[in-house]
Amino acid sequence: MKISRRDFLKGSAATTLFLAGFNLPVLASSSRKKNLVVIMLRGGMDGLCAVPVIGDKDFEKRRKKILIENPIKLDTDFALHPKLNAFHKCWKENTGAIVHATSIPYTARSHFEGQNLMESGGRVPYKEKTGWVGRAMKLAKLQGDGLALSLPMPLLLRGVPKNNNYFPSDGKLPREDTLDLLKSVYADSSEEELMDMMNFIKKRKNEDMMSGYSSSWDKRKNNNLSKQAAAYLRKPNGPRVAVFEVNGFDTHAAQGGVNGTHTKCLVEMDDIIKNLKAELKDAYKDTLILTVTEFGRTIKQNGGNGTEHGYGTAIFMAGGLIKKSQVHTDWPGLKRKELYDGRDLNATLDARSVYASAMSSVFDLDFKRIQKEVFWGEELQNLSDKLFKA
Amino acid sequence: MKNFFRKVAFGLKPDEKAPSDPLVWAQKQVEIIPEFNWKGKHIYSEKEMRKYWITQRVEENTTLRKKYKNDPEGFRRAEEQLRNDTGQRYWPNNEICIRHAEGIRSDNPVLAKLWYFWTNHFTISDTQSLAEFSTGAYHRDFIRANMDKNFETMAIEATVAWPMIMHLDNKDNEGPKSQSAKEEWRRREKRPATLNENHARELMELHTISPDAGYNQKDVEELAKIMTGWRPKWTKNKDMGHDVTFFSDRHEPGKKYVLGKEYKKGRKSLKTVIKDLANHPSCREFIATKLCRYLITDYPTPEMIAPVIKAWEQSDGYLPEVHKAAIKVAFEYNDKYRKFQNPENWWLTTINMSGSTDKYPVSEYNMNKFVFGFKPSQEMRFPDWLLEDIGCHPYKQKQPNGYSDLEKDWLSTELVIRRLIYAKKAFHQYKVKDQIDDTIHERIIRTNFDNPDKILKIVSKAKTNEEKHMILFNLPEVLKA
Repeated sequence: MKISRRDFLKGSAATTLFLAGFNLPVLASSSRKKNLVVIMLRGGMDGLCAVPVIGDKDFEKRRKKILIENPIKLDTDFALHPKLNAFHKCWKENTGAIVHATSIPYTARSHFEGQNLMESGGRVPYKEKTGWVGRAMKLAKLQGDGLALSLPMPLLLRGVPKNNNYFPSDGKLPREDTLDLLKSVYADSSEEELMDMMNFIKKRKNEDMMSGYSSSWDKRKNNNLSKQAAAYLRKPNGPRVAVFEVNGFDTHAAQGGVNGTHTKCLVEMDDIIKNLKAELKDAYKDTLILTVTEFGRTIKQNGGNGTEHGYGTAIFMAGGLIKKSQVHTDWPGLKRKELYDGRDLNATLDARSVYASAMSSVFDLDFKRIQKEVFWGEELQNLSDKLFKA
Repeated sequence: MKNFFRKVAFGLKPDEKAPSDPLVWAQKQVEIIPEFNWKGKHIYSEKEMRKYWITQRVEENTTLRKKYKNDPEGFRRAEEQLRNDTGQRYWPNNEICIRHAEGIRSDNPVLAKLWYFWTNHFTISDTQSLAEFSTGAYHRDFIRANMDKNFETMAIEATVAWPMIMHLDNKDNEGPKSQSAKEEWRRREKRPATLNENHARELMELHTISPDAGYNQKDVEELAKIMTGWRPKWTKNKDMGHDVTFFSDRHEPGKKYVLGKEYKKGRKSLKTVIKDLANHPSCREFIATKLCRYLITDYPTPEMIAPVIKAWEQSDGYLPEVHKAAIKVAFEYNDKYRKFQNPENWWLTTINMSGSTDKYPVSEYNMNKFVFGFKPSQEMRFPDWLLEDIGCHPYKQKQPNGYSDLEKDWLSTELVIRRLIYAKKAFHQYKVKDQIDDTIHERIIRTNFDNPDKILKIVSKAKTNEEKHMILFNLPEVLKA
């Protein structure tokens, strides 16, 4: 395969400067409700399993046992895992895009540190106590607009108060009278925060969010969570940010080909996209869905037909706010000397540039403010115009 | 006054007689460390638990991966069987039963509540299957067992214990100028000896002096150098769960300087530096603040913290004296300040006040029925599920800084829904005769509140006994103690 290094990312910094002055008035005038959905892929998503390169003999040789057969061709250089039907549909409708050979700036290959950093957006593990989405929401004054589809508030959303979460437990909510009684008790004791919570809970009871599935096990699967989240997000006064988690990408063994464990996790991600697209309805056009993972995986399969922790990987993006279907990359190549540490796909772009640009577009914030206040002024590229619609 | 029993313990059982001198009652409990209340047959030391951990990890990571490399389904099945063989799903439940029996079945609930405080202070977060095999035992062997010693002793033991060294990666902390750094295999395998600062940073930031002490990155690196070489011994090229010892060949040579003080190379320096950190003024201030936050209020005042610091100084950090001082301050501020209870402590209070401590935690008799190779029963697995579901599992913190102790972090829609649902579940821990006993709530309330009539009036608005439970245990008076 001969992919020439593309220059789409080069010169971005200059473009940023050039456009900065023109962007501001446009940003201020936007009043649409735009949604951001982040899907956290825990365990290290293999970008080369999800979006393999076409015709690279080195790659095929090193992955004999776990190569994905019959991938869907996306362009001359890249293909898509054949089980990612929902994403492929987005692609065909010009609302699906991929950034390849990217990563957060973390190379030490520990899940725990990596996952901490993919959420905090920083460089030193465990140092930051807030997440990049939470900080940007605070900057955009989006209080009470976050929805986590998990029980503890993920670090990613921390930094802005009054986020809601949805992760149903077994059992039913009490009768409305009981909730009202507690609410009046909290009112009498000036327990305002508890009162706020009772308002959320009463709303949820009316929306019947607790039912529909027989066990909490099913209720908590992303298949249900994504449908319920879409129902929230599409409301004009609903949340503007939702955060999902997909676990299990850490396939050291039996990663398998098209029916393997890694595929299972990718399909779970794909189902979230499918449900969001279907249930968001009209709001899909004003939504941006993004993935984030702690690192990619080694090029070479290991003795157990799995892969080890790596570095460069891919970001999936879907939704009506995508500029056009395209694989964006400054491809580093897969020859040994082109690999990171001689073993991993290199990252030619700091993934945080994509996230900062996405939030600039969705939250109508100036890129430079995000760069400065969310990412401590680190060197990031403004890709908003290349990747997203304003 | 009766709030005090919820503040430093878990309330009183229905019809339990309140101790005549609550302060003395509470302080006496922290003087010695009694035997565990739990009499089940599976109480193993942290070291003994490692052999199950090894079987699980080594088998899973090597044997099974090789055997089922082309068979993902077979791999999943074999993994599942291995879990049953090593008791992976049983151990955390067993440990939680031991932990919770101390809180609501023993004669020393105050000691138990403080034990929970320290297990969160020295958090082992959820990595490397430690939650399933080791964390509970670590809490018993290195935290509780040292609650009648000086803080310095607890800090040293908690630091060099195998689970903590594993958890904070000190096993990978190797001196770049050490003897081992020069070995040929490192070049061959591209594994240079490098510092791993993780444990050193947390030892200062979370376990002892806190960032308030004003240390810098250089101090962290220097402390990391002192800690190089402290790791478990490997055999057969693997971690086989051996004790942590000092390997001088991996230790960074030369003098180190932490907070301006010089430390010599070698094994003795680690103890010396922890001793210095434990006796640093910022350490006692940090821990006194955390203790007051745990027992009294989210934002303790300097007046609350001062007596605890003083007790620390006078007793050289002797924990029973420090605890007594904190209890006394909690007693004095009992009427003025209420502390929002984390989900675990709230659940124990709910069960204890309900009087269903024979049903929860699961009895020794039922836990003893576990057979290796089989999945534990639903009943045996309730404690683990419960704590995960209420979002406060003491072995499954996501980060080394443990659970937050601030009300705002425990107020999310789902977490508040859990309190409603689990108050109901607590009601269903009752036998039928208690469920239909219409005097039960009055008895609970009269025993546990100074203003029973006001509480009774609110609770009586509920239609059923089940609803009364949900209301009572979600009143501000119970959520906050």
